[in-house]
Amino acid sequence: MLLRHENFRNLCRARELLAETPEDRLFIRDIAREARMSPFHFIRQFEALFGLTPHQFRVQLRLDRAKLLLARGHYSVTDVCMEVGFTSLGSFSDLFTRRVGMSPSAYQRAARAMIQVPGVFPQELFPGCLSLMACLPASAFRNFQEAGAPVPR
Amino acid sequence: MRIKLTSIMVDNQDKALKFYKEILGFKKKHDIPMGEFKWLTVVSLEGAQDLELSLEPNANPAAKTFQEAMFSQKIPLAAFEVADMNKEYARLKAAGVVFTREPSKAGPVIIAVFSDTCGNLIQLYQPPST
Repeated sequence: MLLRHENFRNLCRARELLAETPEDRLFIRDIAREARMSPFHFIRQFEALFGLTPHQFRVQLRLDRAKLLLARGHYSVTDVCMEVGFTSLGSFSDLFTRRVGMSPSAYQRAARAMIQVPGVFPQELFPGCLSLMACLPASAFRNFQEAGAPVPR
Repeated sequence: MRIKLTSIMVDNQDKALKFYKEILGFKKKHDIPMGEFKWLTVVSLEGAQDLELSLEPNANPAAKTFQEAMFSQKIPLAAFEVADMNKEYARLKAAGVVFTREPSKAGPVIIAVFSDTCGNLIQLYQPPST
């Protein structure tokens, strides 16, 4: 599929709208109208461009925000769940665990243990891959050795 | 010193591996779990096989802001070389890939731009035949 410039621009704008506007005030069909597409066409093109449907994108944003709030440590899991717009603690916990790989409370404990200076986020929460590399097991560097390069320590 | 590893930020590593492997045709080289994220690299089956591309998480809000801005401005964050642009364009299009620029001449090279579905635009280029 080839996206014309105007459609591309409208889809980028739609992504911003999805991120900026509360869900109960702007529905997908309204955003589709803003993007000058039918809802069906909008959802299809959005997914092809960004790899997520508009709804999945919103859920992703809510989970990202939940992670930040949990890491700050001032809020309970229930507070965070309500704050990011989930109404059921069970479905929030399930979804969070599936996506993040640990429960909200485990995530909060792990983040707390890493944070030494209040307000400063540890690198582990927002890694760049080159920083992940520092934690790799020695075996991961086998191919570097084979290539004759020194093994990083 | 040599260039052996380069990286691109992705919004989701599982989704990225699927796209870079199944759609683009790269091969997984490393996949090492590191808590919530992983050390994930792919290599191309064509050309230098030990040259790795790391698919790194864009979990840092600053990275996300940068990535979204570059995307909205239609600026590709990586470029891959192809031998036959028309063939690759047809293959990727058939696989459902969205292009923002169809193959077109830019001086001596032919370029095209597509979305990697992970928050980046990628440029393909076919160098002039010699």
